[in-house]
Amino acid sequence: MRRFAYHEPKTLEEASRLLVDLGENAHVLAGGTDLFVEIRERLRDVSDVVNIKNIPGMTDITWDPAVGLTFGALVTARQLETLPGVQRTYPNFAEALRLLASIQVRNRATVVGNLCRASPSADTIPPLIADGAIIHIYTPKGMRRMPLAEFFTGPGRTRLERGDIATGIVIPAPAPDSGRIYLKHGRRKAMELATVGVAVSLDRDGDTCTNARIALGAVGPTVLRASAAEALLKGRKITDELIAQVGAQAMAECTPISNVRASAEYRRSMVGVLTRRAVKTAMEATQ
Amino acid sequence: MKQIVELTINGDPQSLAVEGHRSLLDTLREEAGLTGTKKGCDVGDCGACTVIVDGQPVNACLMLAVEAQGRNVETVEGMQQSIDILHPLQDAFMRHGASQCGFCTPGILMMARKLIEENPDPSDDEIRFGLSGNICRCTGYTKIFDAVRSAAAEIRAVRAQEETV
Amino acid sequence: MNKPANNLRNAFSTIGKSVKREDVIEKVTGEGVYVADLKPVGMLYGKIKRSEVAHARIKRIDVSKALAYPGVKAVLTHEDVPRVLHYGSPHPRSVSCTKDQYILDDKVRYWGEGVAAVAAISEEIADEALDLIEVEYEELPAVFTPEEAMKPGAPQIHEVGPGGNLVLDPVRVERGDVDKGFAEADFVLEGEFSGGRPMPGYMEPNVCLADWDGSGKLTFWTSTQSSFMVRGILAEVLGLPRTKVRVLVDHMGGGFGAKQDCFQHEFLCALLARETRKPVRMEFTRCETFLAGRSRHPFKLWLKQGFRKDGTITARDMRIVFDSGAYGSHSPGVTTVGTNSATSLYRCENVRLDGRAVYTNTPIAGAFRGYGVVQTYYALDIQMDEAAERLGMDPADLKLKNAVREGDIAPSGHAIVGHGLEACIEHGTRVFDWKGLRQGARCPDPAASHVRKGWGLGCEMHGSSAYPGIKEQGNALIKVNEDGSVTLMTGAAGLGTGAHTALAQIAAEELNMPFESVSVVHGDTDAVPWDIGAFASHTTYLVGSATRMAAAEARAGILRRAAEKLQTTADALDMVDGRIFLRASPDSGLTVAEAMGPTPGIPSANILGRGTYEPTKSYSFAAHFVEVTVDTETGLVTVDRVVPVHDVGKVIHPIAAAGQIEGGIQQGIGHTLTEDYIIDTETGRSLNAGLVDYKMPLSMDMPDIDTVILEAAPDPGGPWGAKGVGEDPIIAIGPAIANAIHDAIGVRFHHYPITPEDILNALNEKERQS
Repeated sequence: MRRFAYHEPKTLEEASRLLVDLGENAHVLAGGTDLFVEIRERLRDVSDVVNIKNIPGMTDITWDPAVGLTFGALVTARQLETLPGVQRTYPNFAEALRLLASIQVRNRATVVGNLCRASPSADTIPPLIADGAIIHIYTPKGMRRMPLAEFFTGPGRTRLERGDIATGIVIPAPAPDSGRIYLKHGRRKAMELATVGVAVSLDRDGDTCTNARIALGAVGPTVLRASAAEALLKGRKITDELIAQVGAQAMAECTPISNVRASAEYRRSMVGVLTRRAVKTAMEATQ
Repeated sequence: MKQIVELTINGDPQSLAVEGHRSLLDTLREEAGLTGTKKGCDVGDCGACTVIVDGQPVNACLMLAVEAQGRNVETVEGMQQSIDILHPLQDAFMRHGASQCGFCTPGILMMARKLIEENPDPSDDEIRFGLSGNICRCTGYTKIFDAVRSAAAEIRAVRAQEETV
Repeated sequence: MNKPANNLRNAFSTIGKSVKREDVIEKVTGEGVYVADLKPVGMLYGKIKRSEVAHARIKRIDVSKALAYPGVKAVLTHEDVPRVLHYGSPHPRSVSCTKDQYILDDKVRYWGEGVAAVAAISEEIADEALDLIEVEYEELPAVFTPEEAMKPGAPQIHEVGPGGNLVLDPVRVERGDVDKGFAEADFVLEGEFSGGRPMPGYMEPNVCLADWDGSGKLTFWTSTQSSFMVRGILAEVLGLPRTKVRVLVDHMGGGFGAKQDCFQHEFLCALLARETRKPVRMEFTRCETFLAGRSRHPFKLWLKQGFRKDGTITARDMRIVFDSGAYGSHSPGVTTVGTNSATSLYRCENVRLDGRAVYTNTPIAGAFRGYGVVQTYYALDIQMDEAAERLGMDPADLKLKNAVREGDIAPSGHAIVGHGLEACIEHGTRVFDWKGLRQGARCPDPAASHVRKGWGLGCEMHGSSAYPGIKEQGNALIKVNEDGSVTLMTGAAGLGTGAHTALAQIAAEELNMPFESVSVVHGDTDAVPWDIGAFASHTTYLVGSATRMAAAEARAGILRRAAEKLQTTADALDMVDGRIFLRASPDSGLTVAEAMGPTPGIPSANILGRGTYEPTKSYSFAAHFVEVTVDTETGLVTVDRVVPVHDVGKVIHPIAAAGQIEGGIQQGIGHTLTEDYIIDTETGRSLNAGLVDYKMPLSMDMPDIDTVILEAAPDPGGPWGAKGVGEDPIIAIGPAIANAIHDAIGVRFHHYPITPEDILNALNEKERQS
């Protein structure tokens, strides 16, 4: 590994100041499971690593039926994955966590870190966007809250500015009659980066969909909302025909590229397949 | 600049002088002389460097040594019950041919140990899921699954016997 | 010193039993020493600067900044190292080798080739210093596929060789009268086949450690399958006598054939150590195992066969082109073995074959489990399946009908002993319930019509030993100690297969002593007899036979010594399970320790057994039965179940043999469905040199495997009939999967890997046509 200087700030204020003072090659360490890979594979020049793990107040997980699930920036993927409440209430999110790298990695990786890395193929992003999660950010000027759907600006890029530190996430409590699912498509069953990831969260009234959010991973510069496909579902009775239309619409809304994992055409057709399957399953899911 | 990291490795308190950028893996291998933990990729993809930190299996390559300050680290070298007695998993790996070249073995043993501790009677799917972050390129995994099942059964039998006594 | 006869014995004391592999104790405790675990005092760390262009002349290389970097102790470029043209594949006994490599050249021939080496006090400093080496390239036109490389006027990658970017002269084989055979055919099948660039993916990245002593002797630890070959080629290139190079290897983390070459980094590590007068260790990153490792040869193959209505093959015409990458490495061997293999497996008297290997500006293809045969039998077996479809026959029946039989001329040119393939197909058909399953529905759940099932069969045969390409020799030395224990000294490498345990079993069996009394010394070229290397599925067959000969001689010596002590003649004695007794009165006797040890007036005995064995060749056989599920919406293929049936002649260690088979299947599933090391055909860059995008099947991807091992056709050349098993499994699984996919969805694939995208495209094409 290339050498770097190591810092252990005790407060958010101190960490934020370090990031500003040390400049663009200073990076936050939370889980480290992406950062150290990027350093070793020379994808990122890193002069300084700012470990935020000794900063108090970011390790809590709380559940409030009115607010939803709140967790801090230092909560690991594995902690959330193994919580029965998460598995029950947010099976889509739990599935995304289960499919993220390996248990060893999930024991270190934080969900907030996975979000801040802003990979278009990150597994946690589609279900959290589909569920309307809010991200909390420390800025030198004070705390900010932002819908996660607005957080990403491009591959590896977010609205965080130098000195900003994401501190936690809130996932709103699901509506009483709702279904949510995340489907990941990869060549292997584990240790995969998604070729395509599709999250669908729907609110229902019998066999009518009252509200829908569809998030598409790995088919654009950021995880995308398929808004027109969502609009097709809203207020409609779910039929196989409608599901086929929604799948086609999602295909039209995505903007995939070709790379070593798959061609753009294949990715687009998988968006159709997975969206159809996800809508069908989310409508049938009992929660 | 080196700093002193105080941690427990396989039950022994240790003070190691390490640079801030050094991984726990390099520190175990190069500074602590514990070379049982292997470096297969150094980027968290292969699981050969799996160690248990405060009860949780992690890739030692993806953790800085300084992050292990005050922690309890367990490696394959601490797995034996005594000098003469192997852990049931170690014995089962020998009997079932679960180790061929042996390079993945320490990491898989640590992972399997954690798996059995959490779930004394794992199903085949649970074993497969539990080991999905560990690459073995020699065995096709079949013999590893056999060994894990066999060791879990042995541990359950010993426990059952202890409970009746 | 005669080879012991394979006398039939009903009961064996040690072979055929899955004894505990003693080397595994060290593997499960973490005590086993691999080269990267060594750290002598004062050790430096070596790193290699790699080219970022695919084909260029080095105009200027400036190392001054790197040399001045604090902590750097030496930097080597092509200007500093001996310029000796040498073999990549260090088999001086091979009929065809290619001398086309320098340690460092003023040219680079592929993206990722080493151009300089650094030694420094830490790995980090060595790594950082690489960035300070300035290389100015004059780029040359590059070719990335054999098609481009073979075009008239294509840029020449090497000055040596027959020209036209050929690594060696074409390998041509002709038997019978092919034109007549085609004239007699009722129908002809013709097809083009191709394959990607699978990697061995051994878990231990290549690593070596060099240390020179004051007398100018090099001690060299390295993860190699062929320590004597490394010794030989290092000595030749560095200008040293063999006695000044000692190669050591204890545990190694897999090789699968690819750790046979003497690699560029091995020379550089030795030279850095000489330059700095310090031990230097050089360990590949995982990425470097791709850039500087060895792949299977990508290939293009054209196959035409004529068939009669009864399924008889009347003629076979095949041309194959192997992509050798930037250097020759094992291409001569792979081309020879791969091309010749098409003479057999399925009987045909009229055969015409043409095999070539071509240089391209891509990473080096080398030796890898299946050695050219994976490619040819993939095509041959799939075309047999097509013939069965055309004939309306069950493919198992057609393959059985044409299966190679005893006495047929093998690819090696000699008559085959035994006919294990027939037994494998027949046995597997039964235990897999082949006929029953194939009568079942391809779409088991009408509610999920996109999920289809299929069943396929793939067959193979593979030689144990590299004869006749290499005139091989196996050696063993057995020393009987004064306490009655036995030391077996072998040069065979322990790359993870359990070979040393098998050899100890063979020694114990022939001695008729307990397995526990035999220990094995290996891995030190100064201490053990010469060995050609662990490859070609030959260790049990070749070194096993030598071991058996050595054990027979040692046993005779023990009996002579016991006779002396008992004041009788050796032929009056027998030894069973380590106890020596008079045949006439079995109750009186003595132990080996009593025979060997000193008694007043008689010193301890010095008894040695020597074995040298020069084999011809035996063939092992396998039939793999596979069940797959295809999702026709996503194109994903899941291998659900494999029943591999292997004939190994005589099994020495059943669990170890099964482990070889199951591991080979894992690699073969990967190669057929998910694994492909991809080189950008515009720039020559590696696009997936890592374990995320080079997708090897993991624990959740592996099917249930019900391994069956048969002893159908023992070979007189191996110990008690034993033959090799290492390479066979990777050959049969590929066509079995391709045939099963066809059975599921009615689409033929002539290439690997068969990606989900390929499946969808083919299904769409099929729909368009219908």
